[in-house]
Amino acid sequence: MIMDNKIGLIVMIETDVLVIGAGPAGSTAAKHAALGGAKVILVEKKSEIGAPKRCAEGVSKEGLKLLGIEPDPRWAVKEIDGIRLVAPNGTDVWLNDEIKLPEAGYILERKVFDKFMAMDAGRAGADIKIKTLAKGMRKEGSGYVVTCETMGELFEIKAKIIIAADGPESHVGRWAGIKTGTKAKNMESGVQFEMCNVEMEDPDVLEFYFGSLAPGGYAWIFPKGNDIANVGLAVIATETDKTAYQYLLDFVDNCPATKNAKAVELNIGGDPVGGMIKQMSDDNVLVVGDAAGQVNPLTGGGIISGMTCGMFAGKVAAEAITEKDYSAKRLSAYDKKCQEELGSKLNKYLKVKDYLSSLSDSELDSIADAFQNVEFEEISTTELIKKLIKVSPKALLKLGKLF
Amino acid sequence: MIVKEWCMYCGECAGVCPRNLIEVKETVLVFDDEQCKECEICVKCCPIDALEKN
Repeated sequence: MIMDNKIGLIVMIETDVLVIGAGPAGSTAAKHAALGGAKVILVEKKSEIGAPKRCAEGVSKEGLKLLGIEPDPRWAVKEIDGIRLVAPNGTDVWLNDEIKLPEAGYILERKVFDKFMAMDAGRAGADIKIKTLAKGMRKEGSGYVVTCETMGELFEIKAKIIIAADGPESHVGRWAGIKTGTKAKNMESGVQFEMCNVEMEDPDVLEFYFGSLAPGGYAWIFPKGNDIANVGLAVIATETDKTAYQYLLDFVDNCPATKNAKAVELNIGGDPVGGMIKQMSDDNVLVVGDAAGQVNPLTGGGIISGMTCGMFAGKVAAEAITEKDYSAKRLSAYDKKCQEELGSKLNKYLKVKDYLSSLSDSELDSIADAFQNVEFEEISTTELIKKLIKVSPKALLKLGKLF
Repeated sequence: MIVKEWCMYCGECAGVCPRNLIEVKETVLVFDDEQCKECEICVKCCPIDALEKN
């Protein structure tokens, strides 16, 4: 049904699958839905996919491989081969050189990466509409009608299945009656500078700084090559009276690596670290990525987990379109797949995060001291936690049964 | 709600609003002031202190 916009009526476009949000999770969902034979529209409210970035830009090689994505030097700008953990008193734990690093990875250029992922969706057959904001939706017949706005013009998209990939803002899930949105105590408030003149001791490692310098979170320096790095931190706002930005200024002033550094970009954003939401689908709707809390609560990383679940969503949506069954029961196959793949791991990491957040600066210092004597053969998040449990009786008590 | 000129439209406020009242466009933030209960969670969570209660 198409009516003339000029006489005040609204154009309606029909499609099988509408993906709202062209971040990595949404673009991956759109790609796989299109590859599965569905007619797909991908909408993005910004004029440029991937910008501004709201991310420290780290991903694992393993994760990209499992998604079938070949690293491209245009967006995989720096290879990482180790990590450095820094306690409040400056004691550091270096994990690099001869230690196996299964979660080793890259630092991305998200402004390029996100576009490339959207391009893959476009090449797979998805129609892409940028500078297009989803403003609301209503149930109609066997699907939803989403009202969109692009540069002042309203139009509607009628879709059998909506994939909500609208990030931490997470409106779409809530419009559909799904409990998305994030409690303040589970939202990391992040802020980051991209800086030059950063003087890292080893420019091939990720650095993580813990303690009261970032309440409820941590600070990071992620190198991007030469003397360039993402320098940022995240806090839980409910645990402090200072803003994340104030904490970042203090960190940059006090960190030896950044004493001469100059910022060329400021990024901010929220990161939902309360674990995956319990219900990620309903009749005609799937929720993916940050909107569904598909983020590692411990690290705040969500690119690979979001894209993995985006892939599941796209495939399930395409199958549902073929079967002409868009019911909650049919689409719940998506929830099941996400839980199987990520649920247990994310739940464990959530408990670890809560535990680490409860530690004082001096307790963190003691753990770093104890780690000096630990032999590491392999670094992965799980291995680090297992070592933590070995060196800390308190950790053993709180976390021993998890790993 | 007052949106200060240095707001960067990151959307964190929208994510934590318990009543889903904040629309974040590319360069505009729109609040539904009529439905707002002034819990100020959005103000608290903003990383750069860009929001203020009326």
